[in-house]
Amino acid sequence: MPPSTCLRSFSRLSIDVTAQTSIAQRLGRPQVALFTTSATRHATAPKRKGMTAAPKKGVKSLNTKKSRKAAAMDTGKRPAQGERKALRKRIVLSNNNALEVSSLKNLSKDNVLSEQNEGKVMGLPEEEVVDALRAVDAFKATQGWGLFRRPAVLMRKEAIQLAKLLREVEGSRTGQQKKTIRRILSGERMSGKSTLLLQGLSMGFLRDWFVISLPEAQDIVNAHTEYAPLPNSNPTQYTQDTYTANLLQQIQKANSRFLESTKLSTKPMLDIPLKPNATLKELVAVGTANPEASWPVFVALWNELSQPGRPSIMLAIDGLSHAMRNSEYLSAEVKPIHAHDLTLIRHFVDHLSGQKKLPNGGIVLAATSKSNSPTSAALDFCVEVAEARQNAPDNIPQWNPYKNVDARVMETLKDLNTDSTDLDVIRVGGLTKNEARAIMEYYAESGLLRHTVNEGFVSEKWSLAGMGNIGELERTSVRLRI
Amino acid sequence: MPPRISITSLARSIPYRPKPSVQWPARSATRFSPAQCRLYSDSKATGTNDRSGRLDAQPADHVSEEKSKVAEAMGEEGPDMSRGTPVEEIVKGDKAAQEKLPKVMKDKLKASGNAAPKGSRSYSTMTTQTGANNELDMGLVDISSASNAPTTPGLKFEVPSLPLPKDGHVKHRYDPVVEQVTNLLMRHGKKSVAQSNMALILQHLRTSPIPTINPAKPLLPGAPPPSHLPLNPILYLTLAIDSVAPLMRIRSQRGAAGGGVALQIPVPLGQRQRRRAAIQWIMANASKRRNVGSGRGSFAQRIAQELIAVVEGRSSTWDRRNAIHKLGVAARANIVLPRKR
Repeated sequence: MPPSTCLRSFSRLSIDVTAQTSIAQRLGRPQVALFTTSATRHATAPKRKGMTAAPKKGVKSLNTKKSRKAAAMDTGKRPAQGERKALRKRIVLSNNNALEVSSLKNLSKDNVLSEQNEGKVMGLPEEEVVDALRAVDAFKATQGWGLFRRPAVLMRKEAIQLAKLLREVEGSRTGQQKKTIRRILSGERMSGKSTLLLQGLSMGFLRDWFVISLPEAQDIVNAHTEYAPLPNSNPTQYTQDTYTANLLQQIQKANSRFLESTKLSTKPMLDIPLKPNATLKELVAVGTANPEASWPVFVALWNELSQPGRPSIMLAIDGLSHAMRNSEYLSAEVKPIHAHDLTLIRHFVDHLSGQKKLPNGGIVLAATSKSNSPTSAALDFCVEVAEARQNAPDNIPQWNPYKNVDARVMETLKDLNTDSTDLDVIRVGGLTKNEARAIMEYYAESGLLRHTVNEGFVSEKWSLAGMGNIGELERTSVRLRI
Repeated sequence: MPPRISITSLARSIPYRPKPSVQWPARSATRFSPAQCRLYSDSKATGTNDRSGRLDAQPADHVSEEKSKVAEAMGEEGPDMSRGTPVEEIVKGDKAAQEKLPKVMKDKLKASGNAAPKGSRSYSTMTTQTGANNELDMGLVDISSASNAPTTPGLKFEVPSLPLPKDGHVKHRYDPVVEQVTNLLMRHGKKSVAQSNMALILQHLRTSPIPTINPAKPLLPGAPPPSHLPLNPILYLTLAIDSVAPLMRIRSQRGAAGGGVALQIPVPLGQRQRRRAAIQWIMANASKRRNVGSGRGSFAQRIAQELIAVVEGRSSTWDRRNAIHKLGVAARANIVLPRKR
């Protein structure tokens, strides 16, 4: 039989220890030892403070204490909240030290779609395009805009290809059926996919298209902004009010000329009253000011844009693979929400898959990323198949049956596996040597490359840059990255 | 040792005969022949180096010989060939020829003419450059070297134009200063991180505004104007480092002074060592700076700001160097030179 102490210990569970101690103290009873007595037995009397044994004679004691003088505390003002991040994400588009390139011509409404530009470096016009591109966050901090006097782009082969698509859409305007062209930009890391997307956007701005750009798909799916289920949706979709309001503001800044000059032609179903005969700008302003109404405003704006006689639409997204997987959001059942259930992504994907058409024509552009891309096996496979179709039609890869297939993504991108050219892949490869020469001459004229640009030098750098990968070319010749 | 006369660098062969009484035999074995003392480095077969025996490759007659030949042809009396050529008289007023003179004669000319103004500094900051060219490297690669070598039949590839470009050697293809700074930036053997930091530093220098030079903290003599610096970040970096590089270090010799005091002996540093000391000072100052941003580029940014501060004369590295120099001057009596025999 166990001693009674143990039983008593059992009866006093740890939950009501506090209650017990107060009673124990009041009654003046010694505290009952719990199962083991070794702790109390080994406990020694607490040492008095300031009593240390005198050092033995002839023995050097190791002084491990830090010096009396504490390290000087940094008492300066800390950067304010968000200041560090703002510094990190700052976009600089000009370097006053770089030389002005006298031969640089601007892109304009007339020459932007011309094939004569192929292999030339063209400046982006300041007031029309650069401000708009800045408004839609098209410039990235990692790109080299800050090295040159002003933003300029190389009209490479793929850019001309894109210009041709714009012309195709504009040419089809006279007919009844207006074309919707969908393209996915793929290519090696640093091959200029995001810059090509930016070039597409600037073409859209110059040709007076209506440009809607989702600057980074990651920002939509990474659960950094609030979300709420969309009422009356089955299966449940989720709106992101703050993000959408911000997007509306970007749209308003980038397309302000069109929005100001156009009056409402439909009656949007909004809770907030709009005065009759309001312009589209006022409609967008309502969405910007009231985030909870932002999604209905976006839908209303889209309805307006779908009316006949409205401009063509350029719909773009960067970092597509983030949009082709589960998002970081959780549903009420604590299940991950697929990115396609977020209304903004859903809206884009519907147009990318061809499920919905752009009534006034337009281009849906999606850029993939190689440096920031979570695995999306279905997307990778579809892009691979489409590239194989272009290059080696007799050797088309097969789906690995041991991989998990994301059926929704496969369904979205199924047009890549067919012969239809509406949805296709633009492979952004290396520059040709002529293009490399053009851009290196631009570098040299800007004063950033101190070398004569001759054939030998161009071929050397072209080869070092992995057969003309433009990012590597910039790295080796301008950024002095050894 | 008599000063070596570099005859190979003269445009025309001017025999230097300081004493007319001493006449060397025409084909003496001790004759200072340019073909024998041909330097390994000057491989260009021009002028006196060309041993091909062609008529146009034979060296031209020197001034006096030429003149005497002309005089002979004209039937006049030429200069006295038994006496030396009065070189000073010949080159008088001819700037290009004066530059080709041997050092002794140049010094003589300079001493007689206007002397260069003395610097205000109490000690010299000049050291001999180990590189081939004596001016600062302006970073212009391959701009002037045009190969006009004749095409030789029977070669599969073109003959490389000599001298080879300075990045022609695979192990020394990058700028030595950049390489040294990169290696000193490296931590835990992560060279590629150091290289990307180096690229960020250079990019920061490139985009920073034109520095204003503090006249109290003069940069290296021969430095380009400050407006040229941001466009040539490697030169900017080199200039900042070389300007604050100390000339010597102070070695403390224990027990040499007696009384338990270490004897402080200044020891001269080589170019690479001087740069190393300067880079480490700059890096130490940079790491003491406040980190304002976030992300990976912040250390590179601080180093770049410190480099700019050095060029603008705001950095405490200058005081540190001046202190070392002052100490070196004070302790110069402690240097024990080997006794001359």
